[in-house]
Amino acid sequence: MSGLWLVARREIATRGRTKAFVIGLVISALLVGALAFLPRLFSGPDSYTVGFVGSSTLQPALTGADKDVTITTKPFADEAAARKAVLDGEVDAVVVDDRRVLADGEVDRELGLLLEGAHQTAQAGKQLAAAGLDAAKVAEAMRVAPLEQVSVGADTRYAGARTGIATLLVMLLFFQLLQPSMYVAMGVVEEKGSRIVEILLTSIRPWQLLGGKIVGLGALALLNLVVVIVAGLGAATISGFTSDMPPGIGGVVVSTLFWFVLGYAFFATLAAALGSLVSRQEEVSSVLTPMMMLIMAAYFVSYFAAIEPGNSVARILSLIPPFSSMVMPVRTAAGEVPLWEMGVAAALMIVATGAVLILGARIYERAILRTGARVKLSEVVRDGSAVAR
Amino acid sequence: MIEIDDLHKRYGDKTALTGVSFAVKPGEMFGFVGANGAGKTTTMRILMGVLAADSGQVRWDGRPLTFEDRRKFGYMPEERGLYQKMKVSEQVQYFGRLNGMSAAQAAKATADLLERLSLTERAGDEVGALSLGNQQRVQLAVALVHGPEVLVLDEPFSGLDPIAVDALAEVLLERRSAGVPVLFSSHQLDLVERLCDSVGIISAGRMVASDTVEELRAREGRRLLKVVVRDAAPGWTAGLGGNITEKGDEVLFADVNGSDQEILRAATKAGTVEHFGWERPTLTEIFREAVA
Repeated sequence: MSGLWLVARREIATRGRTKAFVIGLVISALLVGALAFLPRLFSGPDSYTVGFVGSSTLQPALTGADKDVTITTKPFADEAAARKAVLDGEVDAVVVDDRRVLADGEVDRELGLLLEGAHQTAQAGKQLAAAGLDAAKVAEAMRVAPLEQVSVGADTRYAGARTGIATLLVMLLFFQLLQPSMYVAMGVVEEKGSRIVEILLTSIRPWQLLGGKIVGLGALALLNLVVVIVAGLGAATISGFTSDMPPGIGGVVVSTLFWFVLGYAFFATLAAALGSLVSRQEEVSSVLTPMMMLIMAAYFVSYFAAIEPGNSVARILSLIPPFSSMVMPVRTAAGEVPLWEMGVAAALMIVATGAVLILGARIYERAILRTGARVKLSEVVRDGSAVAR
Repeated sequence: MIEIDDLHKRYGDKTALTGVSFAVKPGEMFGFVGANGAGKTTTMRILMGVLAADSGQVRWDGRPLTFEDRRKFGYMPEERGLYQKMKVSEQVQYFGRLNGMSAAQAAKATADLLERLSLTERAGDEVGALSLGNQQRVQLAVALVHGPEVLVLDEPFSGLDPIAVDALAEVLLERRSAGVPVLFSSHQLDLVERLCDSVGIISAGRMVASDTVEELRAREGRRLLKVVVRDAAPGWTAGLGGNITEKGDEVLFADVNGSDQEILRAATKAGTVEHFGWERPTLTEIFREAVA
């Protein structure tokens, strides 16, 4: 086992120290952090400044209307001064004598609704008082409980946030599965092509070399993933986006890490086995084509699942390995997934990963010392006895 | 003692080894020579377990070699392999640790070796930034770092300048004196002759000779008589027996068959005899004869 850790440590020290890794880590953390601020930028401000000309009964109704919206009021002596303030952008709108609203162009939609609501309340109260009703009773009568929203379909209250998080997750998983797997393949070819592997394999077993490489590069990928998640959640907390987040975000994080580990073990082993068939870096991308197609397919299905989590194609593929490693966490983030589906998907993926580990290690062991021309997959699967150059 | 016993190997239709056998004793420097493609590398790779023989066996002290045994070997493959982006000292230590050394042991052994091989100043450089000769020294350090009990080196001297050759030779002789069997292949026959106690000659996958250098010389039937006569009259060799090669004043007689005294008398009569004696066949001559 110590051989495996030594190899893993070398991989971490060598790859983790490269500029590419450090810069990539910082950029992805910044990018995800910035994305967490985006919804705030697009949803518009949650505070308005409203000017008033003349005395107003609308004003108290407006300021108490919505707890999530802050309204600052500003009195103006006359309409001319108010118009100038509107044009200068000092205020978002000005209410003149409770009859007219001045704005630069159209009134902001949310502010318009608030103004109209306050106007209705104030005028209705005034007219009822004029009709001789007691002011306190009027106020009592005007207090109406808001309509309760009940969804008979899926709970769509957080649909927007869920889709956003799921879409982000698709990209994140795609890169964090593809890139380290590529590095595993390139590392395998580096050792095979330079024949270092001949010295290494007189000191350690093939499974130690292969396992150490996968574990080491996987640890870095996991670190990358965790940093990005922490950066995203941290930025969301600061920006106030967390209040719009669906409950159970912790579950999404746990499921993401769980599926990442399985998916990475699957794809990285596949990449190592395919990589061991060739001796030159130029051949890596062509020999990895089948694996790339698989990841790309999983990527497109996951993207689809992020938008349409209930779709039956997405549901079926979220159970089938290796697609499940990307589709299932994305579905979990995008909507509710029955527990039994998660269980079935996890069981199937664990079995598939185990099978790939065994088969991949066997291919690697048989192909890694056969330098020269590309080794045919059928040769190594069929005949393990002849280790030849 | 390392015993190679009756190795056979085929690559498809091509036969690479046919019954290769030889032995390297403790404290013996064994030179493995042969033309390109004769089977040296194949034999050494089988010995190191990176290639499987079709049949035959490699034994160490009488029992078949295991993986654990080979971890105690130092190996330098034919094609040099190092991590180009890894620093010299880190790389040598890494291989030491892979062979079971503690971090402290590996660090000390690495520092000592780099000193011996005049690489101390380059310890912090990436291997890829070194000249080929220096990379080769690092490769040797990698093979030696864990204090191996057996050394198997494929063409360790190729591409080295004379100073590096001397440094490497010194290290190998020192290991040999410590009782380590050293097996190396080379095309530089003068070097093999100078360093080795025993020589194995392989030709087209078969061992054609394997013995001590002295034994091989003694066995070489064709003895040459070298005579140098100053101011000799041309044609003084006429009528003398044997196979004659003339080069200026120097005359080489092959297949003399007991007529040496007659040749000496003719030479004294012809002029001033500067040299008269039997030539020891060089390894190159033995090699040419053996693979012919």
